[in-house]
This record gives sequence, structure tokens and C-alpha cells, in this order.
Amino acid sequence: MKACDAVVIGAGHNGLIAAAYLARAGLRVVVVERSEAAGGCGATEEVWPGYRVDTGAHSLTGIDPRVMAGFGLKEAGPRGAGLDLMSPAPCVVSPQPEGEALILERDPARTADLIRPFSARDAARWPEFVRAMSRASRALGVLYGTLPPRLAGAGRGDLWELLRLGAKMNRLGRRDALELMRLIPMTVEELLHEWFESEALKGTLAAEGIRGICQGPLASGTGYMFLHHMVGAGGVVRRRRQVRGGMGALGDALRRVAVAAGAEVRLGHEVASIRVEDGHATGIALAGGGEIAASRVVSSADPGHTLLGLVDPGELAPEFLRALDNIKYRGVVAKVHLALGEPPRLRSGGDAAQTALPGGDVAQAALLAGAAITVAPSIHYIERAYDDAKYGRPSVRPVLDAVLTTALDPSLAPEGCHLLSVASQYTPFRLTHGSWNAERREALGDAVVQALTEHIPNLEGAILHRHVLTPADLADRFALPEGNIHHGEMTLDQVFLGRPVAGWARYRTPIDGLYLCGAGTHPGGGLNGRPGGGAAARILRDLK
Amino acid sequence: MRATNTYDAIIVGGGHNGLINAAYLARAGLRVVVLERRHLVGGAAVTEEIFPGFKYSVASYVVSLLRPEIIRDLQLARHGLEILPLESTVTPLPNGDYLGRWADHDQTRRDLYRHSPKDAEAYDDFATLMYQLAWAVKPLLGVVPPDPISPGLRDLKTLLMLGRHARGLDEKRFHALFKLGTMSAADYLDEWFESDPLKATMSASGIIGTFLGPRSPGTAYVLLHHYMGEIDGVFRAWGFARGGNGMVSESIASAAKSHGAEIRTGATVERVLTRNGWVHGVVLDDGEELTAKTVVSGVDPKRTFLGLLDPDELPDDFARAIRRFRIRGSSGKVNLSLSEAPEFSCLPGGGPHLRGAFSISPSLDYLERAYDDAKYGGFSHRPYMDIVIPSMIDPGMAPPGRHVMSIFVQYAAFDLKGGWDDAKREAFGDAVVDTLSEYVPNLADSILHRQVLTPLDMQEQLGLTEGNIFHGELTPQQLFFFRPSPAWADYRTPVRGFYQCGSGTHPGGGVCGASGRLAALEILRDLRRRRGAGTTAAPGR
Repeated sequence: MKACDAVVIGAGHNGLIAAAYLARAGLRVVVVERSEAAGGCGATEEVWPGYRVDTGAHSLTGIDPRVMAGFGLKEAGPRGAGLDLMSPAPCVVSPQPEGEALILERDPARTADLIRPFSARDAARWPEFVRAMSRASRALGVLYGTLPPRLAGAGRGDLWELLRLGAKMNRLGRRDALELMRLIPMTVEELLHEWFESEALKGTLAAEGIRGICQGPLASGTGYMFLHHMVGAGGVVRRRRQVRGGMGALGDALRRVAVAAGAEVRLGHEVASIRVEDGHATGIALAGGGEIAASRVVSSADPGHTLLGLVDPGELAPEFLRALDNIKYRGVVAKVHLALGEPPRLRSGGDAAQTALPGGDVAQAALLAGAAITVAPSIHYIERAYDDAKYGRPSVRPVLDAVLTTALDPSLAPEGCHLLSVASQYTPFRLTHGSWNAERREALGDAVVQALTEHIPNLEGAILHRHVLTPADLADRFALPEGNIHHGEMTLDQVFLGRPVAGWARYRTPIDGLYLCGAGTHPGGGLNGRPGGGAAARILRDLK
Repeated sequence: MRATNTYDAIIVGGGHNGLINAAYLARAGLRVVVLERRHLVGGAAVTEEIFPGFKYSVASYVVSLLRPEIIRDLQLARHGLEILPLESTVTPLPNGDYLGRWADHDQTRRDLYRHSPKDAEAYDDFATLMYQLAWAVKPLLGVVPPDPISPGLRDLKTLLMLGRHARGLDEKRFHALFKLGTMSAADYLDEWFESDPLKATMSASGIIGTFLGPRSPGTAYVLLHHYMGEIDGVFRAWGFARGGNGMVSESIASAAKSHGAEIRTGATVERVLTRNGWVHGVVLDDGEELTAKTVVSGVDPKRTFLGLLDPDELPDDFARAIRRFRIRGSSGKVNLSLSEAPEFSCLPGGGPHLRGAFSISPSLDYLERAYDDAKYGGFSHRPYMDIVIPSMIDPGMAPPGRHVMSIFVQYAAFDLKGGWDDAKREAFGDAVVDTLSEYVPNLADSILHRQVLTPLDMQEQLGLTEGNIFHGELTPQQLFFFRPSPAWADYRTPVRGFYQCGSGTHPGGGVCGASGRLAALEILRDLRRRRGAGTTAAPGR
């Protein structure tokens, strides 16, 4: 059989995007995926008959606009991919201990009105905050669209690249670039403290800075994480987007795009190893037998699995192996899915009416209009939830991000029923005492339901079915290393030059022809598709 | 009479940086006065006989980072500075064992080997790498931070020099530096070592003076500082000044005076006087005015710009940057007078270990829990402590047979829930003594006097805003050209003729003195230019 030009391991969104770019450039591309569906972490599964559950990610901030536009993802009709992204006006409803709720909307002026009862000062600052964060995330976006520069042992070409990057940043304005430099190492607490006084507001926003990392909001780099989620969100803080038909529809759309570009996608085939001859990748061997010969192998699997699991360690230098071994994963997210027989009703505040804080009906309306529920009423609440994980146990009072997916898309559940998808943090993959089992899984489910019931009194009575995925389950189901949703913790030492390991941050590996294109590479996770696009650009440049 | 109140330069604050600044300016022939609020100079580096016969290094208590060029330029040895080596660090453990690191390399190796043969091997490799990296970072400490917003020719030259220096690093070291700059001390050390007490004790150097735990990112970088200490050209050594840390300040003051500088104690500066964007002097709290075309502040950025000046005189974005400059204190200090030598149960009896430091840092979780206690507005019930017994090193610090013990304590929040009061100060002191008594059984009964300083006391007594020992946290967003604010990190300020020389400027922190020296060099440069261009030209910019 004739060797193909590239075999892509994994049909997650990054694998498919890389495949689509490569195929469009005329390469013969085969994508191999172990599961029966494309989309990786963006998966929609029929967990119970008639319920289509987003078992992995349940929200999308922003797929790289170059991918969206370049492949006509949103275009309807036989030629377009027909991806329907819904972006509700209310983004977040954050219930507070006294029954009131903070609501964030897409429109900054509306949001300022909603913040005002919590703090007039914060309300006045909100529009400027949104502008400042939007400018900073735009500058970050420039870095995201570029290969991380090589600083150590830089040659002439590297310096040229660095100068070009400098010029790009300069065009944005040197002050913005400098401000970004200042913000990146900050703690999200510090960043928010510069602007706001309301604990409710700071907690709600800080929840964005700790997503998927085993650090609390008082840790350096969580300011960066906050900005990371704003890249591609069109200048909206805590933007919420949902895919019609479930997250799996994104994988389907990307698969159609890749196939239309000429790639072949083989589902249900697990890769057993990557073949290397004379330091050059020559193809893959499948677990079920058979091989696919290729002049290059592009892996969207995590860096550890790709290089320690699929490649013979004899092919790699000890220093590099040590660096791979030192990658921190530390998954902390668990998922709980609830099928409900009636819509969840947020507690209406006892004192809310008196204090004129929004709560009750306004919050309920926001929830039904598609807002996500955030349970993170203060920065200290989040930090305390982290304290538990720091010592290797799940948070007693977890930080929750719950999405009523049926609010925007009733077709996801049988008539009159509802689906609540909850991401819970902090839930450490490694427990100090024992390991994850059925009993601990149910205890985790109970803790999450209990924490939500404080704000949704009718929750327990409404539950028809419950489905819990611990970090260990997520690790198995989606091939996530230690259950880490980003294929590697996105702390400052593991982003930019350090992703996946220092010295190899440019999609290449020490093995000729073996590339990485997953979330474990620059600029990281969060369903943005940039690693896939970046790796493809790199490969195409190497072809020249 | 008016002439006596007119100087070439007035230095506000007689801490070590202010004194160094004064000494350099006086040495260049300027008529200089240092104004110090307290009855003695030194700021946080003072020796005080709080109780008769017992001398305390009240706040700062060891010397390591004091720049060798300053010791040479000011001939501090001639002015009484003598640094005695501090040769060991012993970490007592709850099980009665200990982990020791000694001046004698082989002894350290044997000690480490007892805990982990693997760590004994890794320790030397680690030290070699740190030593190389410390050399790589050192040039940064000696340059004036460039202006990143609108760099001039000189700024570009500095950037180019640093760029060239960075290119000289090989890839492996560059990446190690990247990791050190971003990781937590615990994570970084996890990559090297397995022994918990070793990791905890080493990570302790990364948390001193910060409001961070050993698992907080950003704490790894300070590991380097431990290897940067330089006394008399001996790399890596820590030391103790004979006569206490006040002798560091007094030797500098003596050098300054020998060059003609005037030092006035008990002189509290109320305001810095300005006219049309130029500084022209200061006014004291008793109404006395002193005039000078150059005024230098050695106090922290908050007090300098929000206290001595009216913030309205400053550009909005600068005033805002100073307001948000982070300066949270996290530590306290306990000084004890003891009737007899402390007896550590892990190493009973006398011995050379008593002339070294003791670190109460038995495990990473221990330090992390100490941090947890404080981060919600409390103080550690079982704190991290760094202890020296000055009277063991310099017998002159206490009456014969008696001893003084200096205990640096972390963590304590400045904004304690409910506020600090006498009862809470004593409770804090009790937590220190109770915890330490677990390792030193004879401690409690031998205490003759006890001095407890909370972060609030450090603010009130020493003038350190929020009790922060570094005049502002040493986090990446507050270092180099961000310290204290971009475009004003070159010791100048928006008020012409007004300069800053305290630890709140680059490189800041520790009794390092570089800020005082670099500021003086910048001032002299401006004065030369002013003279060259006639007296009407603006200094500097």
C-alpha cells in the first residue's frame, strides 16, 4: 500500500483541524480515532434513552476564528458544515449565600446595571474592565497565533521571528503589550482586586482563572488563565456558547470539513505504537493489527502518551524523557450529569427583595434563557475548595459550573425533561487516601448535588437519573492524562515556551516527522483549535 | 542662618539604602543630609538593647546579599563591619531526628545520605546548576532597569547587553531559568529530590517575605537567591554582622559621615515640597524647612508617593500604579533573652550547630498549612521559623552565660481579622514559643524577656507599610522595570529632582543596598548633565 503523507492520531477537534489544513494543502491524510465518534472531549452521548449528554466539555468559548471562517463551519447547506453556535444574552448566573444572584450578560451596560446592587463602584468600573481585558486578550491572541519564539540558542532565523513578533505587538500598542506582561504572572485575585470590591463579582470571575488547574485563585498565573478564556470570546467576559445538538455536533462538523478537504477519517481504531526508523517516524501500528505507513505522524494525543506510551523510549534522549516525565497533569475536574423531571428552580432570596438585589425571578429567567450557573460566591470560597485538593481530597464545598443544556436546546432531552451538566472542581485525580472507586464516585455525586441544592431547592426531587464521571473516569473515557482537561496543567511553566516541555514548544519532537498537535501544545486547551492549526502550519512550512 | 538649612541633597529615611545613597553622594562632594525619624539609623537593620545587656537585631538579622562593590567602595570594613560566617542550617524533625546542611560539604552529604541516598547525589548537581544560574542572573542586579515604553538609546543598550548575556546561556540553563521563574518551589524541588524535610527547608527560602506558600507558583525563583549571597567575594555564604545587623547600618553611616554627610535622627519628614513640578526641599513635622534641589526617598513607594507627596501632583496612571503596588506583610519577628543556652533535643548539648541557623520546616505540608492559617486573615498556629542565636556567634550580644535568640516567623497577616491588639500579639508570641518548645524543651523556662513584632508593629515602629520587609512583594509583575512602575523604575519620579532609593525599586529586598547605590549613580549622572547644560535643564529627562 502506498504510504500516505500524514497520519493523524486522534479525531478530537485539534486532530481534525490539523487534518483539514493538511488535506487542503494537498497532502494525503488519514485520521485514526480509537472511539466510535469524532470530537474527543467535545462528546455527546446518549447516556439514558432520549437524553443526549455532553459528557466532556459542555461550553465553548471560541474556536479560532480563522478555522471558523476558513472552513465555513457555520455555513448551512450541503457544502457548509452547518455548525450552529448559540450565544445567549445572559452568560452567567451566580447564586449567593443569601439567595440573591449576580448575573453577567453579554452586553456590558446591561451587566453594569446587574452589578450595581452589589456595588455601585464595581458597576461603574465594569465597562472599562471589559475593555481592558478585551485589549489584553487581543494582545494574548497575537501570541497565540504565533509559534513561541526560540530564545535559547537562537539563530538568525529565530531573531527575525522574534523581531516580527515584536513588531506585531508594537502595532497593538506598547502599553497594551506591557500590560499583558504585567497581567500574565498575576493571581486572578490580584487582577480582580485592582478593579472590584464585591466578593460576589470577584468570585464569579475568578472561577474562570482556575479552570482545569490544581491551583487556587491566590496562585500566580491564574490571571493568565482568566485571559486565556477570553481569547476568541469577542471581548465578552465569561462568554457562554453552546453547540446546537450537543458538543458532539462540533466534532461531526469538523469531521465533515476534514473529509471534504480530502482526509480519510477512520473511527474505532486504536493506535498501538508509532513506528520509528533511523530517528524518523514512518507510520503507526494499530492495536487491532495492521499498520499505516506515512511520511509523518501527527499526534493529537497528549505529549506523555504520544512520546512515552507510543514511541520506544530507546528513541529518545534521557533528558527529554525526564522532561516529559515531569509534565504536571493533576486533573481536578469531575462531571456530574443530571436528568431532571422538572426545570430547576433557583432559590429566591429571602432578603433579596429588601436589599433590592437581583435574585428570584430575574435569576430564574436568566437560567432558563441559557445562562450557566457558577457556584463560586467569593475568592475565599474557591481557595478553600482548593485547600482540600491541595491535600489530596475532593472539595467538601466544590466550585461548580453547571449548564442547563436543554434551556437552549430542548431536543437534548425527552419532552418536558431537562438536562443539567455540572463540572465540579476541585476533584483531584490522585487522592491521598485510596483511589477512585464506585463508592467514592457516588459520594462525589452526592456532594455536588448537595452543593447545588443549596441554591436549587427542588433539585433532589427532580432528579430522574444521575451520571458521575470522576477524573479517573474522564481519563479513561477521553484519554486525558490524569484526567487533565487541557492535556497538561496550564500553569505558567507549562505554557508558551514550556508547552509541552521547554525547548520543544514548536509542535516538533526530537523524532523527525513526528509532530504534536493536541491541547498539550501551544497555546493549550479549551476547545479553541489553535494547537491543531498551529501544528499544521508548522508542518506545511517544514515541507517547503 | 538660612544657608545651614540648604543642602545639595536631602535623603528621607536613614535605612541602609538611604545611608548608602548618602554616602555615595557625599563621596562625590555633595552637601548631604539624612533625615531619620527614629533615634537611631538603620531602618529595619538595627541593633537595639531593648533589655539591659541583651542586644537584638530587631528586624533583619542576617547578611548575604549586601553588594561587594558597596563594601569595597565605602570601605565598610574600616568603618566597623565584620561579617561572621553562618555555617549551617539544621532542620529539627518531629521524630527527634534532624536534617543538617553544613559548611563542610562531606558532612552535608553524609547527613543527606541518611535521609535519602538519591538526594545526596542530586544535591551536588542541583547546587552546580543553581550556582551557574545565579551567575547568569547577577548582572540584572547591577543595571538600571530600562524604560520599556519609550526606550532611549541607553535603555536599548541595556536591553542589548542583557539579550547578549541571555544568548550566552546554553539551552539547558535557559530552560532551567524559565522553570525557576514560573514554578512553585515545591514543584521545582520535586523534580530533584524526594526527602520532604530537605524540600521544605530549601523551599523556605522561596517563601520568606512573600504571602505565598511553597506550592504557590513563583516561589521557585527565590531558590536562586540562596546561592547568590556573596560575602567578601565568597559565593553562597550567609553571615552575621558582629554587633548585630545594626552594625551594617552604623558602618555605612560612619562611611557617609567620613565623606561629610550630615545625619539627623529624630527628624520626621512631613512632606516633600514641590514647585512647578520640581522638588525644592522638605518640611519636618515641627515645621522646620530644609531646601535642596535633590531629594531622595528611602522609604517605601506607598509612603513616598501617597504620604510624602500629594498624589494629585502625580500623573494619574502613575498614582494608580502606586496604589495597586502590592505590599502585603506576611511575617513577624520574635526576639528572646535566654538565661541559658537552648538545647535542641535532636542535637543535645553544645556544638557548632548552635552557631548556625535552625529552620522549623519539617515538611512541605507543614509550611503549606502555616500559609493556610494566614491567608484567610490569621497567623500560623504552627509557623515556619528561621532561627539564629546571635550570642553564640558574637558573645557580645548578651551578658556572659546568657543568650539572645532571633526568630523570624511566618506567616502572619497584616490585616488580621478583627485587627491586631496586645492579646493577639501575645497569642502570636505564644504560638512561636509553644511550637519551638517541641524542639527545644528548655526554651520556655529559660526565657527572661520576649519581644514580639507583628506586621502591624513593623509598620508602626519601623515604617514598613503593611509590615512588608521588602517594601513591596517580590513577584514577577513587581520586579525589574515594573518596580515600582514601568517608566519610573530608573529611580527617578514624575517630580523632577525627586528620586527613590529604597527596596521598593530594582532590585529591592534583602539587605542588598543596590537600590541605594544605583540611585546615587543616577542622581550624579543627572547632576553632571544639568551642570553641562546649564542649571535650567531638566535632570534626566
